[in-house]
Amino acid sequence: MKLTSLETRWAEAALGAIFPGSSDVGLTDIRAMDMRGFLDQVLHAVPTQAAIGLRVAVWIVALAPIFLLGRFATIVGLTQPDRERLVATLVASRSYAVRSLVLILKTIGALLYAGDDAVRARMLVASHAGTMVPLRLGRGRAA
Amino acid sequence: MSFEHDHSHDAFPDEALPEGSVVDGAELARDIDEAFDFVVVGTGAAGAVAAHTLARAGFSVAMLEEGPWVKTREFGDRVYEAFRRMYRDVGTQVLEGHSYIPLIQGRCVGGSTVMNSAIAHRTPEDVLGQWDADFGLGAHVSASTLEPHFDALERELNAHAVADDVLGENNRIFLDEAAKDGLPARKMHRYERNCRGSGRCVTGCPNGAKQGMNVSYVPWALSLGARLFASCRVERVTIEHGKATGVLAHATGDGARSKGRTVRLRARRGVLVAASTIQTPNVLRRSGLRSRALGEHFSCHPGYGVGGVFDNPVTMSFGATQGAESTHLRKSDRIKLETIGMPPELAAVRIPGIGGELMRRMGTFANVAVWAVVVRSEAEGTVRQGWGGRDRVKLSLTTRDVERTRNGTAILARMMFEAGAREVWPGIFGLPAVLTSIDQVRLIEEAPADSRLFSFITTHLFGAARMGPTPEGSVVGPDFQAHEARGLYVVDSSVFPTNLGVNPQHSIMGMSRLAATRIAEAARRTAAA
Ligand SMILES: Cc1cc2nc3c(=O)[nH]c(=O)nc-3n(C[C@H](O)[C@H](O)[C@H](O)COP(=O)(O)OP(=O)(O)OC[C@H]3O[C@@H](n4cnc5c(N)ncnc54)[C@H](O)[C@@H]3O)c2cc1C
Ligand code: SF4
Repeated sequence: MKLTSLETRWAEAALGAIFPGSSDVGLTDIRAMDMRGFLDQVLHAVPTQAAIGLRVAVWIVALAPIFLLGRFATIVGLTQPDRERLVATLVASRSYAVRSLVLILKTIGALLYAGDDAVRARMLVASHAGTMVPLRLGRGRAA
Repeated sequence: MSFEHDHSHDAFPDEALPEGSVVDGAELARDIDEAFDFVVVGTGAAGAVAAHTLARAGFSVAMLEEGPWVKTREFGDRVYEAFRRMYRDVGTQVLEGHSYIPLIQGRCVGGSTVMNSAIAHRTPEDVLGQWDADFGLGAHVSASTLEPHFDALERELNAHAVADDVLGENNRIFLDEAAKDGLPARKMHRYERNCRGSGRCVTGCPNGAKQGMNVSYVPWALSLGARLFASCRVERVTIEHGKATGVLAHATGDGARSKGRTVRLRARRGVLVAASTIQTPNVLRRSGLRSRALGEHFSCHPGYGVGGVFDNPVTMSFGATQGAESTHLRKSDRIKLETIGMPPELAAVRIPGIGGELMRRMGTFANVAVWAVVVRSEAEGTVRQGWGGRDRVKLSLTTRDVERTRNGTAILARMMFEAGAREVWPGIFGLPAVLTSIDQVRLIEEAPADSRLFSFITTHLFGAARMGPTPEGSVVGPDFQAHEARGLYVVDSSVFPTNLGVNPQHSIMGMSRLAATRIAEAARRTAAA
């Protein structure tokens, strides 16, 4: 199963809302990563049921502006702050099905985003009493 | 008989295997039809130990494994890659019920021991007492019958407490705080040799330190003459005139050459099914077993994680992945408290927020500790075969299970604040995503006991082919043999009458070793007669 190019654009907008990066924090924007390639890979690898779940999640997020904001637009038509607010509202939905499905997107996005070298390197920088301290990795004893 | 392993060589134990000992189904160019004394289905905790025990007793043994053999040198640190290559359904399995609970299993040589944390716990005596009192197993399975097996397993897999120099902050903070609070706790006992504290157990140990089955009993069985058929999925056990005679398997993997290839292995003395609590019942079902107990009484240990942000670095990327625990509340409250070091990808899912808020918190990841409550749940569910032959597992946690989770979460949150956390992330829907003071812990205690508000995960699985004295309420007898077919044995945790309240691998291996020892003795007696 593959997402259509329209669905892919929706998915990219949704993931971009969840992981927009931050220059203050020093984290890259997920839109600089190969989201399309990753989504194709995931949809090819997972069982049909999970692929359907992901697809439904994409549609929910894409069409949410119509139901939540009363605007005749998909997520692609919103500004970045509005996209973030939209996805945050969905994740906080009282409907268990809606929030669980949208969390699938966060999960898939996290696998790509936090799997990125630069993001990992930044995540492993500790803040120590207000300052940033790069952590030494592999300080375990030698074999 | 003593069995010494040579750990001095430089090669990892999954390298330099005896010539011809491994058949890779993904590369299969022809159908296979061979005969062995015993055929073992699955190479996880249960299957590997059983195969090794039988091979050591001098029998010819074949192991079949649905997944590939991913070698130590191939292990990376990216979760998606690990999910894709080594996890069943790319890590997307779920328990269906009132809520959806992710269920994680390995699908590779070594099974779930490849990605687990190698925590070793003997079966609690009160649990064995319950198995005796409620299920009449005492004469067959007891602390004294299991003891020699636990001793041997601990020796062979080098089970011991986490060393100080690889403890790491996540585990240390937990132990220090437990000591301050008077909560009995200890360093985990784990199967490892020279753990370097890389915190990468979830993606496979790159140092060959963790003694998963992929680097222990599987290669050890091969060195004793056993054969392994990897990437071969057993469709069914063949049963003729009420006796198991072998298995029929298909090659898995994408290889065009191997597509549709069949592997037929005949078993002269018996077939041991050890495909895990989820797959075993469906293998038995496909083999024609019709016991009413098949697929019933499935149980698990749901786990729930809590995050805390500290002023000083915690650095979950260093330290034994899971290195500290308290079982103090196991009997009274049916919960176990433990630490769990999370890789960035899995942590990112649980870090609260979306967009800018999420980014800010991801920036604090190196200062985050994660601890978890593991519940000995009361809920029972079912394992069935769904559409397309897929495993379908249903279970709804009881209100009391959720209350216990909630209480454990509150204890952990309080401990985190007392240990100096400036934020605690309870992750309970409807509560503030971030708690900033210990006074707010009461919000956790007051949260509704509804499983849909919690993000559980489960990796400890039991039941669904229960052991018992009579065919009415059970699938196998106390001799591990299916009531419906001679020579068909089930040796994994699907035979457990209940869950345990402690990490299951040791119990699974102990039971499997006990079973295989008895099966070998019976086969020897038959041969002598
Ligand atoms: C992430 C994680 C962490 C864990 N941490 C711990 C821990 O620290 N301590 C602990 O005690 N427990 C832990 N566990 C649980 C423990 O690993 C399992 O309980 C144990 O491995 C189960 O043993 P098993 O042999 O029944 O199944 P598995 O180890 O899952 O092995 C079953 C094998 O059978 C294969 N199989 C299934 N169907 C077929 C078929 N039809 N044909 C051929 N092969 C088949 C599977 O592919 C699999 O490789 C953890 C589990 C996970 C997933
Ligand atoms: S924490 Fe220890 S056992 Fe786990 S992967 Fe790292 S070295 Fe191996």
